[in-house]
Amino acid sequence: MNCSEESLALYVYDELAPSERQAVEAHISECGACRERVATLQRLQGVLDQRAASQAAPELLIRARLKLEDSLDAEQVGWRSLIADWLPLLPGALPSRLAATVLLLALGFGVGWILRPRVRSAPNSAGLSTRAASLVGPNFDQISSITQVQPDPQTEQVRITLNAEHHVTLEGSLDDPRIRDILVDALKRYDNAGIRLDTLEALQQGTNDPSVQDALLYALQRDPNAGVRLQALSYVRQMSWSPKVQKALVDVARGDGNPGVRVAAINALVSHAVSQREQSLVPVLENFSQNDPNNYIRMRALAAVHELASGQP
Amino acid sequence: MDGACLELSGKRVTEDLPSGSDELTIVRRAQAGDRAAFDALVRRYDREILQLALRVVRSEDEASELYQEAFLKVYRSLSRFRFESSFSTWLYRVVMNVCMDHLRRRQRRKEVQGPVAEDGQPEFFQTIAEERATLDPARTLHSKEIDGRIRAALNALSPRERMVFELRHYDGMKLRAIGRICGTTEATVKNCLFRATQKLRTALVDMI
Repeated sequence: MNCSEESLALYVYDELAPSERQAVEAHISECGACRERVATLQRLQGVLDQRAASQAAPELLIRARLKLEDSLDAEQVGWRSLIADWLPLLPGALPSRLAATVLLLALGFGVGWILRPRVRSAPNSAGLSTRAASLVGPNFDQISSITQVQPDPQTEQVRITLNAEHHVTLEGSLDDPRIRDILVDALKRYDNAGIRLDTLEALQQGTNDPSVQDALLYALQRDPNAGVRLQALSYVRQMSWSPKVQKALVDVARGDGNPGVRVAAINALVSHAVSQREQSLVPVLENFSQNDPNNYIRMRALAAVHELASGQP
Repeated sequence: MDGACLELSGKRVTEDLPSGSDELTIVRRAQAGDRAAFDALVRRYDREILQLALRVVRSEDEASELYQEAFLKVYRSLSRFRFESSFSTWLYRVVMNVCMDHLRRRQRRKEVQGPVAEDGQPEFFQTIAEERATLDPARTLHSKEIDGRIRAALNALSPRERMVFELRHYDGMKLRAIGRICGTTEATVKNCLFRATQKLRTALVDMI
């Protein structure tokens, strides 16, 4: 038998067919050179087995699993999920992948056509800069990104730099419904927390407007960022007191995920109750003083209840 | 491969999937968007996948990244799995491609040897806990030297040779199964293993 090096390597790894294996064994029993080659390969295996075992620590596995779960959660709510939900429907409905591709291209072209840049003429507005005038009433859905919101407390003007069909700068006061609507939508729907904070600052000038009030209450109760919620709370406190404001503050004090926001909400409630001698808040505060898991909140509410009961500050 | 598991010698995954469900059912449920089913698939294989990634790359962080990349790819493309092979073969194909891409990127960056620490050993060996470490400093140093030599020899293999060798030598996977994972013939994989052993023998000749 003419023993090849490859056969010997495969013999050592037990990867030969039974007949090939028998042939190799018969050969090496007679051929000293090949026997030595096999011994060398077996020693090589032994050396390679000395490589330090890189066992994955249990903590590493747990960390990797947790991170993967987070990534999968993000996938399920992202655009991929939307595509994944709809794309499998295509192959069944279409005769071929080519047809699916053509359909997707047509869809892309159609969407592009609908969203194509269009030049419109519009009367200039006293509230808007000339650059803004080239964009007629952009609603929030037309805005691809907001790069800056700059409120000016001196002039009570706000400058919004954004990208819609073009790069646009809008400038005006909250009295202009277009400015106000963009800010309200941005506060509720824009995904950049920094821009939402700037938007809050701009909106604080308009706390008398019902749509601004709604936006501030929305941000207080639903914004995903605790810093934004906290800032919204400080502006909500500037609003005139109403059942809606009270309910929002009670809900936040009771259920916000961030202890700092809850404390700020209870402080707002106590401050209003004490300063306005608001007896209707006593049952609410008693409830906090007895049931809230947070020690500070219980003590703060209890002190306010005593204060309201005694009539002494 | 038509069986439910890869042919691993002595390495069978022992974690159970939800009761009363075979892997086929679990995969179908995962394809239909059942997250719990997908999690069950992950837990069945992820320990071995992480172990493989840890051997291929130099650090726990990188291994964790490969783990994420591989399972996210599996998640995103699971709907395209047509049961033409076992799920484990398909999964390992994804993992192998992720690992080979990583090795190619590393080769392009010409960092095959990795950053060298003060003691002259690749930094990798200082990041992985050594199971056989003893209180004997001389023995520890010797083990590190051996590790360094083996690691350097493995890094000199081509990405495909490396992965075939890792799966055969360290995971005990049969070449027929590796061929299915690679989407190539058993003869090609045999040749790949042979070339790897030749290179390793040359690189480690003074140690054998």
